[in-house]
Amino acid sequence: MSDSTLFKVTIDNITIEVPAGTTVLNAARKIGGEVAPPAMCYYSKLEGSGGKCRTCLVEVSKGSEKDPRPMPKLVASCRTTVMDGMEVKNITSEKVIDARNGVVEFLLINHPLDCPVCDQAGECHLQDLSYEHGKEGTRYEFQRRTFKKHDIGPYIQLHMTRCILCYRCVYTADQLTNKREHGILDRGDHAEIATFIEKSLDNDFIGNVIDVCPVGALTDKTFRFKNRVWFLKPMDAHRDCPTCSGKVTLWNRGDEVFRVTARKDQWGEVEDWICNTCRFEKKKTSDWVIEGPRMIDRHSVISQGHYAGNVGTTIPTETFEKVHNGRQPNLLMDIHDVSNVNKQHIRLSLLERPAHSTDFTPNQD
Amino acid sequence: MFQSRTGKLKVMGVKILLDKAHVEGIRYFDVYRREGGYQAAEKALKEMSTDAIVEEVKKSGLRGRGGAGFPAGMKWSFIAKPEGVPRHLVCNADESEPGTFKDRYLMEFLPHLLIEGLLISSYALGSHDTYIYIRGEYAWIVDILEQAIEEAKANGFLGKNILGTGFDCNIYVHRGAGAYICGEETALIESLEGKRGNPRIKPPFPAIQGVWQRPTVVNNVETLAAVVPIIRMGGDEYAKIGVGRSTGTKLISACGNINKPGVYEIDMTISVEEFIYSDEYCGGIANGKRLKACIPGGSSVPILPANLLLRTAKGEPRLMNYEGLSDGGFATGSMLGSGGFIVLDEDQCIVKNTYTLARFYRHESCGQCSPCREGTGWMEKILKNIDTGNGKMSDIDLLWDIQRKIEGNTICPLGDAAAWPVAAAIRHFRDEFEWHVLNPEESQKRNYGLAHYADPIYVATP
Repeated sequence: MSDSTLFKVTIDNITIEVPAGTTVLNAARKIGGEVAPPAMCYYSKLEGSGGKCRTCLVEVSKGSEKDPRPMPKLVASCRTTVMDGMEVKNITSEKVIDARNGVVEFLLINHPLDCPVCDQAGECHLQDLSYEHGKEGTRYEFQRRTFKKHDIGPYIQLHMTRCILCYRCVYTADQLTNKREHGILDRGDHAEIATFIEKSLDNDFIGNVIDVCPVGALTDKTFRFKNRVWFLKPMDAHRDCPTCSGKVTLWNRGDEVFRVTARKDQWGEVEDWICNTCRFEKKKTSDWVIEGPRMIDRHSVISQGHYAGNVGTTIPTETFEKVHNGRQPNLLMDIHDVSNVNKQHIRLSLLERPAHSTDFTPNQD
Repeated sequence: MFQSRTGKLKVMGVKILLDKAHVEGIRYFDVYRREGGYQAAEKALKEMSTDAIVEEVKKSGLRGRGGAGFPAGMKWSFIAKPEGVPRHLVCNADESEPGTFKDRYLMEFLPHLLIEGLLISSYALGSHDTYIYIRGEYAWIVDILEQAIEEAKANGFLGKNILGTGFDCNIYVHRGAGAYICGEETALIESLEGKRGNPRIKPPFPAIQGVWQRPTVVNNVETLAAVVPIIRMGGDEYAKIGVGRSTGTKLISACGNINKPGVYEIDMTISVEEFIYSDEYCGGIANGKRLKACIPGGSSVPILPANLLLRTAKGEPRLMNYEGLSDGGFATGSMLGSGGFIVLDEDQCIVKNTYTLARFYRHESCGQCSPCREGTGWMEKILKNIDTGNGKMSDIDLLWDIQRKIEGNTICPLGDAAAWPVAAAIRHFRDEFEWHVLNPEESQKRNYGLAHYADPIYVATP
């Protein structure tokens, strides 16, 4: 069988032809939309990833043209390759929806649900998943799991309580860096990501673990507590970088570059890995050549209101002037006259550390 | 001969594995050889082709003795044989299932039987480097096996050019580090490679890509030992022992509230009742108590109340074999599993027992996939609440829902193994759980007792 052989696969009653060796998940992604199962651990750019989170379970109602028997159990679509004539049910299968709801519940029972103070909020895959499949209440009546805190260096913040053990960061360190320094310690529900002997992760490319993390377990320390992602404007930019492609997304507010990430595609996967220098050290607009606004999915909270008219949205018509016979609105009060919160002389984006409460509260002296 | 409870005379069961277990010094090569040992190996290596051996094993109907009961000959025939890539046989001696200790007995008393079985199987599969992966807790058995390997080597049954046939084979003993999950074949392979013992996602199966991505067969100790009598007597003769698809003999490690706990070899023709009550085997329930329940195949198989254990839902006596114990499916049956036969008398608490098992599975989950990692811990916490008199009625339904969402949705069978005991306990002993919830104080002072669990089940006749 040559690689060019095309297999016909039907997912949720939509038929598509894909090359032999394609996984069910990738075939479903080609169809797109709701047919594509969610994936918390699979990452197309990381070899060996997938199969662990069980959110992408699908029902194979017909194995193939040759052997039409259905598969007895739900299968992980990210690790199951298509067969010719295979029929797969994702959102059209009650069994799948039921199992997926179960998996989401399992992922959430020990999750701290600290989205209001989590830097990942707004771009968190677990948040999306729980909106789609979660319940309002919990049936879990026990203390949520906690861990001893580990400091893994000046760049990366580890929040083990948020981790769903997808192993993506482990594969990233294995495949991008020459020596992995962190891994999974212990087993079962007390398994954790750590370095065993307190160590900082400082390989040139280790910052990418932040981008691959589907939740807020690994976040950017230099961006920590400085802004909500949906207040920032993502823009494609590049620089001439000797170590990486230099192609990034800048997250600006006004002229300040709050953070730098790799560019992510519609499935939340990075297009090019970037180096630590680009990610953590280049926080001035002048470091970058800005290409233009980053296309953000319109269902994402990040897309709200930004670049009106530029990225598939329309600018709402300003009516104030019209109805007030050309009068501009009066500025009744400048907030800085009465509040010292968010002191104007402090450039949060340039702090080389997480923002701290003292950066926000008024001076007492 | 002995008089069984049913009154009919019965010939003592056939023994082909443990028949020589009590011969003084059988642990050592000289005695084992004198008693006819290594004759099967000589026959296989000198007179039989590799295909002929696989064919004999297929004909014997031998099923995997580790728990799943997959036909061993078929497993062997799946092994890929790409040119220039070494193949491996791995012996799974990571016997960690609570209630199961048959492999330990076999290796302790008859190490050469295993070595001989390994030699024949290695020859049949073309494995020049064969591994015994043994659980770390069996530290003293490692010494016994290594001594046996040395003896076999010194006598020309291992090493280079065995018996002048040109076949080379070495056996290495590899110690595990104390993880139940490493008894799962792909986790075992990962561990053998020196990695964290996480089960692999299948496919690819070990027969295609196993140890170091090479074709590998992983078999249980007892399965490999059974290859010796199969070659000695022939597959057809072996298949005549037993009933139906349960051929040959099976080692059962019986424990719990019985008079004679220990390892027994049964020929799978006797009933569960005979096994528990006859003096040849368990010798009845200890201290004159009554039988309440039994976990017939190791901790992960469904627990059965006395009435369903001794008779099937159809009212027929339940037989001690693969088909007999699984008669009725999970609704009214269980599994032969690994043969860890755990008997509970009327003084045992099913809730406590279920909690203990849930705690075990929570501790042993590798944590790789979400339903098992989170679900096992959740079930343990709820069961602990019920056991200590802090449960709620809704907890029972919640437990059912959790186990339902774990079962079948995990990478490896540990999820199922954790879910089944909980499901079976609720299925058959729901009133005991409810009694614990409704009588929180009383449940801390006394046991629920036998209740109606041994009452005969009346089957409506058409």
